Amino acid sequence: MTRNTDRLQLLVIEDEALIVMDLEYMIETAGHRMVASAASVRSLEQLDPEMAVDMAFVDLQLAGGSSGLDAADYIREVWPDALIVFVTANAKALMPDIEKGHAVVPKPFTEHVILTTLLFLNEGIRTPPPKSTTPRDLVMNTVLERRLQLA
Amino acid sequence: MTTHEEDWHQTGDVAHDQGRGDPFAAAVRSTRMPMIVSNPRRRDNPIVFVNDAFLTLTGYDRDEILGRNCRFLQGVDTDRESVDRIRDAVAREEPIQVDLLNYRKDGTPFWNALFVGPVHDDDGEVQFFFASQIDVTERVKAQQAVIRQNAIVEAQVRDRTRELEKALKVKEQALEEKTILLHEVDHRVKNNLTMIGSLLRLQMSAIEDTGLARTLEKMLERIGALATVHKTLHDSSDIRRFDLGTFARGLTGDVISASGRDDIEVIDRIEEVDVDPVQATALGLVLNELLTNTVKHGFTDGRSGRLGIELRPDEKEVVIEISDDGPGFDATAIPRDTLGRKLVERLSHQLGGTTKWTSSSEGTTSITRILSDPA
Repeated sequence: MTRNTDRLQLLVIEDEALIVMDLEYMIETAGHRMVASAASVRSLEQLDPEMAVDMAFVDLQLAGGSSGLDAADYIREVWPDALIVFVTANAKALMPDIEKGHAVVPKPFTEHVILTTLLFLNEGIRTPPPKSTTPRDLVMNTVLERRLQLA
Repeated sequence: MTTHEEDWHQTGDVAHDQGRGDPFAAAVRSTRMPMIVSNPRRRDNPIVFVNDAFLTLTGYDRDEILGRNCRFLQGVDTDRESVDRIRDAVAREEPIQVDLLNYRKDGTPFWNALFVGPVHDDDGEVQFFFASQIDVTERVKAQQAVIRQNAIVEAQVRDRTRELEKALKVKEQALEEKTILLHEVDHRVKNNLTMIGSLLRLQMSAIEDTGLARTLEKMLERIGALATVHKTLHDSSDIRRFDLGTFARGLTGDVISASGRDDIEVIDRIEEVDVDPVQATALGLVLNELLTNTVKHGFTDGRSGRLGIELRPDEKEVVIEISDDGPGFDATAIPRDTLGRKLVERLSHQLGGTTKWTSSSEGTTSITRILSDPA
């Protein structure tokens, strides 16, 4: 498995097909790759655990009544190094559970926020601390701040 | 001692009716206060003297009373505990005062403010018990009425309190339901705004015509501004006010950052201003148009510079000034029919105000005055 070192491999866990398409488009625009998407925890569990995942965008309310928090638990177990970014319209209510992931981007998002978030986190993973400024809408937990050497 | 008793009896027997004897005895006989004397040294402490007032009070004749223990005045509703207290006091040879329910000869009850006290001889031996009675039925009735009234009022207060607590609980539940509902609506609005953004972006990616793509991009920016208005409103602690200052500061950052320009310095003179949420959406769109236009036209050809944003309350109005230090333009020459220009004018009007531009070689400034609360 050869990997472009600057290219992130992303999972998108989201039950709205339209939003998956949009995120995929933005991920590709930024030069990264969406390796898989899943609309529920169940379909997430069907994915090949061997594939490389650097980051996951995770919605909170998923198909079949499943929860993005459970998805996050699964991702942490299978891909322990992956950054988990919740993308949710419920950012305020999520805050106590942010420890299940690393960061939150509130919905509705702009293209600018998604692109700067990808840039910022990619820089942070490859060569911490990141050079670009923190996107205004991005909320990080302390684990991520330490990992990006911001704290 | 026997002599004393005999003497007294003589007075009583002989002078009951006539009021003879010593002046004290005469006073006792004729006073309007009912009085009796009993002899504890005889069996069952019988009454040995009774005055006329007592006969009047109870309705008995003298010969029906003399020789009897005074318990014959008690009846079915007489309080047993009070009777016990009297008996104990008599046994201990102590004075006692108690309100007791007694009955007349005809069976009618009356409240008797009874005083019973021992009468000692020179050696300290108890010779007699002296008892006086006052009919206090009216007073006791009044007291009981007050107690009853208090009980009624207390019961009413309890009932009312319970009702209020119940109503409060219902209100709390309703509020909780409303909060959940509001939260749900907020969630759906945010999701829908996300979907609209996604749709437009996907459409944009499929368009090759740059002019058309630019138009869609402007729409996306406007929808982004609406989304920011919504987030600012719903994430604030008080959804009845719209924090215009925080919103304007955030939007300015967003617009500059989205333009990709890192050479525009923001001069922030934003004061804390709240407006009615009814104004929020239109204001958000106006600010968005003014800011994107300033960034686009004020710093052309890669010219760096300063963007000023000033926000201040002015009595019932809010004044918003957005300026650049660009080369300026001929204010009369701006095309009036662009959508952006129309939006600013019509929405400013809707907000109860105006937007005016001034331009010189020092730069361009737009001044928007709107009402902070619509009439």
